Amino acid sequence: MSEPKGRGAAWTEERRRSDEGRRHLKGAPAANGNGWPDLVTVSLIGTERSPVPPAAIPGVPTPDPASPGRDPAAVLLDRAAVLTAARRAGWRPARAEPPPVCEPDPRPVVSPAASRRLARMLGGEYPDLLAEWLAAVAARGLRPPWRLLPALLDRARGRSADSHLARLVAEAGGPRVRWLAGLNPDWGFVLAEALTGDEAWRLGIASQRRAYLTELRARDPGAARELIAGGWAAVGPDERVMFVHVMADGLSLADEPLLETALDDGAASVRTRAAEVLAALPGSGLSQRMAERARRWLQMDEGPRGPRLVFVPPAEPDAAMRRDGLTPSRAQRAAQPADQTGLLLETLARTPLRTWTRRFGLTAADIVTVFAGDRAPWFFIGWSRAAFSQRDQEWMAALINRALTGRPPATAALAELSRLIRRADPRLGAPGVLPDPGREAPSALRYEIGALRFRYEMLKELAHDHGDG
Amino acid sequence: MAEGWDRARVVALAPDAASLRAAQSLASGGSWPLTGAGDGDAVWGECQGSAATPYRTAVDLSGPAYRCSCPSRKFPCKHALALLLMWSGDGIANHAAAPDWAASWLAARAAKAGDATEPKPAADPAAALQRAQQREARVAAGLAELDRWLCDQVRQGLAASQRSGYRHWDEIAARMVDAQAPGLAERLRALAAVPHSGPGWEGRLLEEYALLRLLATAYRGQQALSPELRDTIRSRIGFTVRQADVLASATPVRDHWHVLARRDLDQDRISTRRVWLRGARTGRFALVLSFAAVGESLDNSLTVGTETDADLAFYPGAVPLRALVATRYDTVEADAPPGAAISGLLAEYATALGQDPWLDTWPALLEVTPARAPFPCVSDAAGDALPLHPGTAGCWPLFALSGGRPVTVAGEWTPRGLRPLTAWAPGGIVVRL
Repeated sequence: MSEPKGRGAAWTEERRRSDEGRRHLKGAPAANGNGWPDLVTVSLIGTERSPVPPAAIPGVPTPDPASPGRDPAAVLLDRAAVLTAARRAGWRPARAEPPPVCEPDPRPVVSPAASRRLARMLGGEYPDLLAEWLAAVAARGLRPPWRLLPALLDRARGRSADSHLARLVAEAGGPRVRWLAGLNPDWGFVLAEALTGDEAWRLGIASQRRAYLTELRARDPGAARELIAGGWAAVGPDERVMFVHVMADGLSLADEPLLETALDDGAASVRTRAAEVLAALPGSGLSQRMAERARRWLQMDEGPRGPRLVFVPPAEPDAAMRRDGLTPSRAQRAAQPADQTGLLLETLARTPLRTWTRRFGLTAADIVTVFAGDRAPWFFIGWSRAAFSQRDQEWMAALINRALTGRPPATAALAELSRLIRRADPRLGAPGVLPDPGREAPSALRYEIGALRFRYEMLKELAHDHGDG
Repeated sequence: MAEGWDRARVVALAPDAASLRAAQSLASGGSWPLTGAGDGDAVWGECQGSAATPYRTAVDLSGPAYRCSCPSRKFPCKHALALLLMWSGDGIANHAAAPDWAASWLAARAAKAGDATEPKPAADPAAALQRAQQREARVAAGLAELDRWLCDQVRQGLAASQRSGYRHWDEIAARMVDAQAPGLAERLRALAAVPHSGPGWEGRLLEEYALLRLLATAYRGQQALSPELRDTIRSRIGFTVRQADVLASATPVRDHWHVLARRDLDQDRISTRRVWLRGARTGRFALVLSFAAVGESLDNSLTVGTETDADLAFYPGAVPLRALVATRYDTVEADAPPGAAISGLLAEYATALGQDPWLDTWPALLEVTPARAPFPCVSDAAGDALPLHPGTAGCWPLFALSGGRPVTVAGEWTPRGLRPLTAWAPGGIVVRL
């Protein structure tokens, strides 16, 4: 049943014509005029409606005694059996058009342990930490293992809104993901994200503009500021919020005038965000004004059960307060606590945290445990917001510790806490640094602490990573 | 007379976990207006389900064989399982008279089994011989029936198959089970998917039918064939060879066996693990199979990417592939094995087909570059290309690994294309695809 040699273009042409059902020439079982297509056609129609066509393998004697008395169906099946074996044995390879060779990626691959961790994340374990993993890998000059790039690309593609992830995949994946995108149009977004520099800024969509601006801000904060100042008047409020967000990184006093302007912006979202960013800027006018107010409004006095925190704001907010984001209207929405509590939140959120350590002469860990009565949850939330926007690791650690050791955090505090743990120094996740969440701890908190520990392990793994091939 | 079964024995019959759960809740609820059991040989009951009339379920414990009027395609269905669960928990009165519908089915089964089912002690060689002869007779009758069925298909035309449900094949498969030819039953059941497998399905169905008839013809004429080919035919029909017999009769082949690839398949309620090996010295391929109930863990003793110094005992056959690990001496990490050219693979497969025309999976160990154009394929240094199996055409990790350069790939070559299973990244790192 070996394959007869010596077919040429005629064979190809004959095959194109005769082998219906096959869309293209995938390399194929041998079909050199052996009658296979005819056998298939008749088997479809049925031998009771059509005579059995002959079948032959060129060069091989036909072992087919089709005596007149035999059942035509049996004859057809016997011929088909011979041809099936012959066609399989005589499979002819096709010709391929190999893809271009991918340009080399000089970066070493992450360690096997880190590769396994990536596979776990792609499999659903803390998938929201993928972005941080990718950023850390790229920052250390490493690359993910090639075999996992398709899954990474699918993940980034699945979240078209999350172009941040797409960008990270493109960066960490290097030339190999661009090469893959050349083969699979589904991953074209990797190439689209590759718009660089000016072009991304002038022609890109919002996510690309943001990416460009973020990158520029990291490289040259002043240049980013000038770009923002120049574009400020021409863009809508969403983009102005984005501008303020971008400025929160690499913040300096040189940014203050522009952000102060933003405090007078027509859009509340811009004003609020600008106030938060200014509060995080040490020495800014706003942070000084807030520190001044906070000193007047918030006292620690000696209560019947030891020191306690007392908040006494003015009865009516003035215009200066409003401009700095202390707007009582926010407090009157149904979901918000009553007036003064809302003001307490806003005050704490916008006041530089070292105001408190200096004023009370205590550490953050001490302050967060001072008795605050019914308002304790709101103190916790306010400080959490401040610690988040001011990126103050000491306060973050104190607050997280407090959540794990004190009374379980209020439901309203959980979202703030989650956000905080996400931004916390991953070293907090090292074994023994934080107490284990108790059984009564809310599951969201337990999840976040799990994520923090996962982050610690994941970054430790990458820190002493020697790529090995 | 059969004794009562323990619960574990019933649980083991469940086709899947969902059926078992459903059966458990049926067995504990009060949805059985009528149940009964014969003298340890049959159980029956009527189950009030969502339908207006109750489902009628009967189990012949000697098989066991099941019959239920419900439309489920699970086998046994949840009603039969629930019935057995209740019975094993002594929840069904024995020595009852069967209602007509159950009695007639049981009688028909008894008649079908005929006078041949007198159980005899296994130790009696005369009885063993008799049982073997009975089985041969049953298989022969089953194959004759299959042959008629195959011819009927081709006589009436395969065009109708595309409109047939799975039942079309399940029925003939069930008859092959009755004929004690489980290998044929499995092959037939798998055919239900062919008419929906895309363009060219009619050709693939004809191939399968033709090869099945070839098997029936070959079984009839087996006396004229070589002992090896006879072994091949019998194993494809479903005659099993005991492991002890393989170990006792085969000459062990000692080699450093490179564990090339692994593939797990879930079928019915059984997981099958296929592990492909290749001997460094002999260049010989081997296939080690292991089985487990779905959910249980499979044999993990052969790790892809390692090399095991071992004696293998091959099952008899015209192209011996399937083997047992007889003695194991040592296992070490291994470098990437040397991949061959496509022409070599095709030549090997052609030679093997000359000896066993039913071979539709052949081990491939190739040095190739994956390509997308003009279709998903792998191509070698000589420019030859083989398509990827349609089920693995999106084998992107293989492409990611290659980056347009050749990689060593191990997998299975089938008439529908290459199914890549393992690739070796630079530095010899093993990647299971």
